[in-house]
Amino acid sequence: MVIAVGTPLALDARASRAWVRRFARTTPGVVVVIAVVVAAACILAGLVSAAAVNSRIAEQKAVLDHSEPFAYAAQNLYAASSAADAAAATAFLSGGNQTPLMRARYQQALAAATSALANATAGAPDIDTRKALAEVSAQLTTYAGLVEAARANNVQIFPLGSSYLREASSLMQTQLLPGAEKVYATDLARVDQAQRRIGSLPKVSLALLVLATLAIVVSSVVMARRTNRQFNLGLIAAGVVAVLMGACIVGAVHLAAGEMERGRTEGTEKFGRLGEARILAQQARTDEILQLITRGDITASEQSFNGHIDKLRERLGTSWPAATEAVNKWVAAHREQVDAYQANDYLGAVAQALGTDPGASGAQFAVVGSTLTDALEQARTTMRDHTSDAGAYLVWIPSAALVLMTAAAVAVVIGLWPRLKEFL
Amino acid sequence: MRIRVVTLLIGVALAVAGCNGAATPPPTVTIFPAPVRPAGAQDITTMPEPPKDDCGDREASLRPGPLPSPGAMPAGSTMAEIKARGRLIVGVDQSTYYFGYRDPSSVEIKGFDVDIAREIARSIFGDPDRIELQVVDALKREDVLESGQVDLVVRTYSITCDRKKEVDFSTTYFYANQRILVAKGSQIHSAADLVGKRVCAVSGTTSLPRLKAVNPDLTVVGVANWTDCLLMLQQGQVDAISTDDAVLAGLAYQDPNMELVGDSLGIEPYGVGIKKGNDDLVRFVNGVLAQIREDGTWNQLYDRWLLTILGPSPGPPAPRYQD
Repeated sequence: MVIAVGTPLALDARASRAWVRRFARTTPGVVVVIAVVVAAACILAGLVSAAAVNSRIAEQKAVLDHSEPFAYAAQNLYAASSAADAAAATAFLSGGNQTPLMRARYQQALAAATSALANATAGAPDIDTRKALAEVSAQLTTYAGLVEAARANNVQIFPLGSSYLREASSLMQTQLLPGAEKVYATDLARVDQAQRRIGSLPKVSLALLVLATLAIVVSSVVMARRTNRQFNLGLIAAGVVAVLMGACIVGAVHLAAGEMERGRTEGTEKFGRLGEARILAQQARTDEILQLITRGDITASEQSFNGHIDKLRERLGTSWPAATEAVNKWVAAHREQVDAYQANDYLGAVAQALGTDPGASGAQFAVVGSTLTDALEQARTTMRDHTSDAGAYLVWIPSAALVLMTAAAVAVVIGLWPRLKEFL
Repeated sequence: MRIRVVTLLIGVALAVAGCNGAATPPPTVTIFPAPVRPAGAQDITTMPEPPKDDCGDREASLRPGPLPSPGAMPAGSTMAEIKARGRLIVGVDQSTYYFGYRDPSSVEIKGFDVDIAREIARSIFGDPDRIELQVVDALKREDVLESGQVDLVVRTYSITCDRKKEVDFSTTYFYANQRILVAKGSQIHSAADLVGKRVCAVSGTTSLPRLKAVNPDLTVVGVANWTDCLLMLQQGQVDAISTDDAVLAGLAYQDPNMELVGDSLGIEPYGVGIKKGNDDLVRFVNGVLAQIREDGTWNQLYDRWLLTILGPSPGPPAPRYQD
């Protein structure tokens, strides 16, 4: 519907706009405008601050409930799959002496991998990750089938079994593990980014609080000129509340950021390093076993083993003396295995690789594995604790922002009401 | 009236939009089966030249002198060096059934080739156990001899003129014929039926080039071990395997659904590989081989390992000497 110029309705509208303009220039008009603008600014700043901090709290909850457990599950998926491969190779190397313990270790690793897969799938953030996990799942079942085919052939003393085992291991090393590693690395990066976001200052809300405070200061000056009173208590109260609110937000977010930073350096970053260390240890163990299965020139596999151990030591640095000590003992045990191999004591080398007595590389590798897993759990707890503490600093901010800034708006209205009333 | 029509249209549009929103299921994951293949398996596009017979009698080797007794290797000879080291280092295979294979139950490497090597160790040390077995890929056989990593290679090693340029061979200790292994009931009965098929062979063997020479219209898949070929045949990744009948019989033994078909595509004489220039060792090994041919050891070894898969012994191959 178009209102034609000159109709009574249009004249009416123009007249009322003109009246509003005239009224706004009068003192009561100014008072009303100040009351409305300052109250609105306070409420807007309160709402935006509450929303901004709320989103940080939601992010913090998401880290605790989803992305961190997912990264943990993805890391376990990698470690358990890799352990299953090492266990299958170990069982193969042991030949007829394949003990119930070895079989149980393989079964446990497989069960741990599928559990981790179920946990990871529940926390998968998007369709691509779900697809990557489905691929890992299909590869894991195919892998298990090939391992059982290898076992069936081994029972009949057919060398065909070793081909099935090699094919299974190739599937694991070239497809499954790289896929699982990618899922894990992507998610750990996601956790890290979320942790940074939680600790970032809510710039828009702070800007709005500053604007509200400025509006209050300007209004006080205007009011002081228009009325003969130096201070308006309502405006002063609102100003104090706004400044206080800003300080609270900056303070709480700063404290939360400190917690997040500690969570990242003592938790996420260490978790990442330990995760890599665990993978490197598994790779070195696979080198150690495969060189005995391949049973040829071990120069290349020794280089690979030493390379993995060097990187492993680098990841550990000086942060975990117990793990470093365990790695040193393992390497010493490995040297004995290599010495036996090079002295043509093949069965001695196999016994050294598979043995469960403390001097054997198999036993020492188990110590390395459990030490790293303990440290990993520790880093995880640290990361979760700090993230949780960061949430405790933030959790009261949204309600406080809403209540206090609404109170500020009310104070402005109450404070200005007597001034307006003088004209009624 | 117009308002009603508009209202109706808006209503329909909203209903359709609403239905679409509610009825579209969330995206679902679809993946393909995990592809598997043995590590290192690949289609061979550039084929080595087929073996040339340009060195006269490829099987002719150095004539042995009188065999020294185990305690008395001639001073300064290669055998004396081996004796001083305390063990004979031999490159073998661990996945060729009954020639050189790893017994999964005892973790020992055994077979006809391995026992030939043990006889040589027995002649040097008086003890067949003074031996170190190193597993060597078919592709690496010349390398490990040249570098001195091993003293001998006893690994279904066909004597060819090309290889004789890089290494020395003993006299022939076994004759094999290249044939074809397929699944029972397949339509492949000879090399001519392999047109357009995928055929598996180990990279670095003489089987590969001969296969291509016999029938150029096939795809050759190269792998690391003969059992990898059997695995690919079982998984339907290849249609046939072609190599020496002795090897194929060992594969067929591991899967009764497979059978050997076709005529011989060529004769493969197996010899012991020795580093080029170690003439004393060549003569010594030929002496050992001559001895086991004569004293019945060869036939004992044949019966022990090959009787079940290849039938009764044809007798040891007659040695041929070049001087």
